[in-house]
Amino acid sequence: MTAARLDPASIEIIRRRLEAIAEEMQGVMLRSAVSPIVREANDASASLFLPDGTVLAQSVSLPLLLGCLVPAVGRMIREFPVEEMRPGDIYLMNDPYDGGTHIPDVSLLVPVFAEERVIALSATILHHQDMGGLTPGSVPTHATEIYQEGLRLPPLRLAREGAIDAQIMRIIARNIRTPDAFEWDLHAQISACTTGAARLAELAAKYGVAPLEAMLREQVRLAEAATRAAIRAIPDGTWRYEDQLDNDGVDLDRPVPIVVTVTVAGDTLTIDFTGSSPQVRGPVNAAPAGVMAGAFFALRAVAGPDIPNNGGCFRPLRLVLPEGSVVNPRLPAAVNARTATVKVLTNAILGALAEALPDRIPAANAGVSCIVSFGGRREDGSPYVVTEVIAGGSGGSAFGPGVNGISTDVSNTMNQPAEMLESDAPLRVHRVAVRRGSGGAGVHPGGCGILREYEVLRGPLTLSFRGERHLNAPRGALGGGPGRPAEAYILRAAGGREEIRSKLSTVLQTGDRLVMGTAGAGGWGAPA
Amino acid sequence: MSIEIGIDIGGTFTDAVCRDEDGAFRLLKVPSTPDDPARAVGIALDRILPGAAAEVARFLHGTTVATNAILEGKAAKVGLITTAGFADVLELGRMTRASNYDLVFGPQTPVALVPAERRLEVAERIGPDGAVLTPLDEAGVAAAARALAGQGVQAVAIAFLFAFLNPAHERRAREVVEEVAPGLAISLSSEVDPAVREYERSCATVFDAALKPVLDAYLGRIEAMLASRGVPAPLQVMHSRGGLLGAAAARSRPIRLTLSGPSAAAIGAASVLREAGCPAGISIDIGGTSADIAVIEGGMPVLRGDGSVAGFPMRVPTADVLAIAAGGGSIAWLDAAGGLHVGPHSAGADPGPVCYGRGGTQPTVLDASVVLGLVDPARFAGGTLALDAAAAETAIRERIAGPLGLSVEAAAIAIHRITNAALTEAVRRMTIGRGSDPRALPLVPAGGGGGLHAAAIAEELGMTRLVLPVAPGVLAATGLLEAPLEHDASMGFFRAVESIPEEALRDAIAALTARCAAAMARDGVEADATEVSADASFIGQGHTLEVAIPAGSETPGADLRAGFIAAHRAAYGHTRDAPVRLVTLRVVQRARPRGAALIASGAAAGPAGERRAWLGGDFATAHIQRGLAPGESLSGPAILETVDSTLLVPPGWRLTATATHLLMERVAP
Repeated sequence: MTAARLDPASIEIIRRRLEAIAEEMQGVMLRSAVSPIVREANDASASLFLPDGTVLAQSVSLPLLLGCLVPAVGRMIREFPVEEMRPGDIYLMNDPYDGGTHIPDVSLLVPVFAEERVIALSATILHHQDMGGLTPGSVPTHATEIYQEGLRLPPLRLAREGAIDAQIMRIIARNIRTPDAFEWDLHAQISACTTGAARLAELAAKYGVAPLEAMLREQVRLAEAATRAAIRAIPDGTWRYEDQLDNDGVDLDRPVPIVVTVTVAGDTLTIDFTGSSPQVRGPVNAAPAGVMAGAFFALRAVAGPDIPNNGGCFRPLRLVLPEGSVVNPRLPAAVNARTATVKVLTNAILGALAEALPDRIPAANAGVSCIVSFGGRREDGSPYVVTEVIAGGSGGSAFGPGVNGISTDVSNTMNQPAEMLESDAPLRVHRVAVRRGSGGAGVHPGGCGILREYEVLRGPLTLSFRGERHLNAPRGALGGGPGRPAEAYILRAAGGREEIRSKLSTVLQTGDRLVMGTAGAGGWGAPA
Repeated sequence: MSIEIGIDIGGTFTDAVCRDEDGAFRLLKVPSTPDDPARAVGIALDRILPGAAAEVARFLHGTTVATNAILEGKAAKVGLITTAGFADVLELGRMTRASNYDLVFGPQTPVALVPAERRLEVAERIGPDGAVLTPLDEAGVAAAARALAGQGVQAVAIAFLFAFLNPAHERRAREVVEEVAPGLAISLSSEVDPAVREYERSCATVFDAALKPVLDAYLGRIEAMLASRGVPAPLQVMHSRGGLLGAAAARSRPIRLTLSGPSAAAIGAASVLREAGCPAGISIDIGGTSADIAVIEGGMPVLRGDGSVAGFPMRVPTADVLAIAAGGGSIAWLDAAGGLHVGPHSAGADPGPVCYGRGGTQPTVLDASVVLGLVDPARFAGGTLALDAAAAETAIRERIAGPLGLSVEAAAIAIHRITNAALTEAVRRMTIGRGSDPRALPLVPAGGGGGLHAAAIAEELGMTRLVLPVAPGVLAATGLLEAPLEHDASMGFFRAVESIPEEALRDAIAALTARCAAAMARDGVEADATEVSADASFIGQGHTLEVAIPAGSETPGADLRAGFIAAHRAAYGHTRDAPVRLVTLRVVQRARPRGAALIASGAAAGPAGERRAWLGGDFATAHIQRGLAPGESLSGPAILETVDSTLLVPPGWRLTATATHLLMERVAP
């Protein structure tokens, strides 16, 4: 059956089926996961792949996870060729130097069998609560080597023909702080993958393997063609945008430049990070899987979300990631805090494209998802880790003012209700407020950041703070003003105020307070 | 002779049904009057009242007034009094945006309803165990109330942190506001939505308060209308759970009306299923722009606790209806790569499909139905709108068939297949996606488009039975007649059930039951069923499962724990012996109506010729029939055309009429 003779209705029906399967997998995973960052921040994603590692469909989840299973699945099938896989096998990995994003994100893969061969792959990625390393939550802001960030798992066969390798599970359990939660969330991933595999097998039984495979390949071809058409609609040209991270979390006085050159030539888009900082000591280095998510987001945002979200969309995109740089580090650079880098580089890509599409792209958003993690022990001795992701504002645009305190671009995470936080950990939240006046001025002002204030009820606890935009303001557009930079400090119960220069790991004692305000976004248009 | 009247307001039509004691009924549709919805109710009432208003024993009403007030920003001016430090919770919400890939978007929270100057803070604090940490600053409450009154608010919402565990501060604050600013509508978060998560609870509370003046005025008009026509029956309205409330109860908790429309239709489907002897099934109500899918179990619609209106969370129990953008007006289009898609954009009612001849140029599902011979252009909508078949064909030829190199008919078939697939995906999500097997369930099609797509959906999912109401076009109105009078009460806990003494749980259940019974008594009835249930999770999980607790249990805590552990395995395939968190405890009481089922009028219309049509597979010559008397049957290929809907009977299906419903069964694969 050739592509030209495929029936257009069946192609569309299969596309809807694939997306529904990915959503069903996401639902299975989210409903039974226990990790708070999964349940409140949607930090987990499900995808279906062709046996060659091409994405067929991805669930709607945190855009930071867009396409991020691509390198992981690619690595797993290189290590374990699909011809050698058997029904009931499960594969997993998390190593950022082997296709992963950062250590808490564990990727899991289940092969889909029909007519006694692998016809597709069903995969999930989920941010686990803890994978060991320096600090609870496995995102130590002062890590300088991957070895401090937790347990690295290369591509492994976790189960052979349905039998889970107990030795692998024992090694993991010995190296992490909350093994029960890990096991639970891993089962949530396994359930999701086996659900996806069962659904695809049903599809193969209904349509026959060969016709189904032809229709799956056609999905990819159509998405590629639609994406190329969307890129062709952007004027050709080359645009450059320079930005920087406050610091790498270790060398606090040294900014980390992010430089991007975006080129549209006909139906291809090249995103080149040449000129960006060499890899740094602190953990803001981004493994390529994370950088790809930012590039995919920008491409999707300008190409239009109607285009099916599969591997065909990525084919017109060329990414240039200089080796040994902050966007493609070499061992043993630390990578846990890549979110800040991905947000800033996504902003930079959009900032460059704004020169070609000034009416469609807003002023810079706050460029930050501040990640705050508290870990310690409750009165009964049980350990806890709670993680919060806190946004800034969205940028003003041709269409209207920005929004106060809202997740933007690659992030779309829920905050933690104060009532949940206080129920889960010995903390008291004193303030949850819009940081008034922090949005950039403009015909359409930028959105304001968020103020939060916490008190420690029972110390000591370990605080991990990963902020951004403390030292660099988000820019306005077309004459609009910049957003106000972020600020954060600790008020010690014993007296004294300690400024946080964007990133910090420290110990808080009973009565200490953390006060933080995230950045406002850029305004649009010169204010009167 | 006593009669019952149900009037339901829909987006396009206001439907009325009048039923007498033996089940004979009349129905009518009048155009809705969105600028003043009560006007259409009055017109419908005058036309359906049989002249003997004094015989009306029940008057039941489904209204979109609460929902529309939210959608159109027409709720009353409202202020919020909240815990010091938390006035912006309502603006910040959960920090998420509805669309992942949009670069430009507006506020996602009700800032327009309650802007910053009307969100005032007072000192007070209750901890996560319900203990008072900071006493209520009563002078602060009084000052806030005065300030809000000075801004001209009509309603005040009071939402304090952890009030669902200890409502004392909210209750005292209400007393203070009543003293300082008498006459304002007041809602407390601990009463509107006693459950954890301050944004969702506050959101429900401000909408409840802001809807009170709107509902009070509206229900007052309907009551006056009934009185002026001499109708003695008290006004009862449908609430989102799918039950009826007396007007007084509706006034006191108007947020309960916000998601009532789909619930009424689901109740209607449940009652048709009951007549057919089926306790469970799936209903699919297909209109011009969207389709609603609901699940019926145990004779009642399955509920959910986390609905939304206009994108705002509306945490009230409601029929768990999945609405998707697929209907007769859904537009078929080609993407830049030549891929064929249908929807989500709709031609709506204006300009409508190309065949309406009102200026629509983009081919729709209805245009494809015309091309495929499924809809008779001369008899659409009871013959009130003559369809332009040639225009439909031209649009499909030029926009779809030509570019794809297909015949017009092949393109129309492709459009139908894609639409059927979209509808099938939605039914699949509500069944297989939740662990139930659709093959064992009957499908209840409703709405103008239900009968055009139901058989195709059923075939795809291996379902073999369709149950059709005698009046599929007015399912929500007939649902009003079948809905129970119902009250519920709940209490928030958010702690391990193992840490709560059984006696305390028994007392809580008794208190909630007493509250329900008192509410039933105020509506003048006695409950014939009491249900106790709890929302629970394992500690650390965000999603809850609802678990039934046997009424009268001596060990409700142990029952909940065992029930939850089993329910978790059933829902997710795995479970564990770990502490179980009781999130919300709930009691529901209901009293079922005793009316007869709707009885079809029974006039056989006989065959009305035949026509070439596509009913799946190849084109066939279909028998056309305009009615079916009880006991008669019809085998596919056939099309049953009634005043308000069209039903396709494909080859291999057999349709049989009874007095109360139609049954369509698959007799050959």
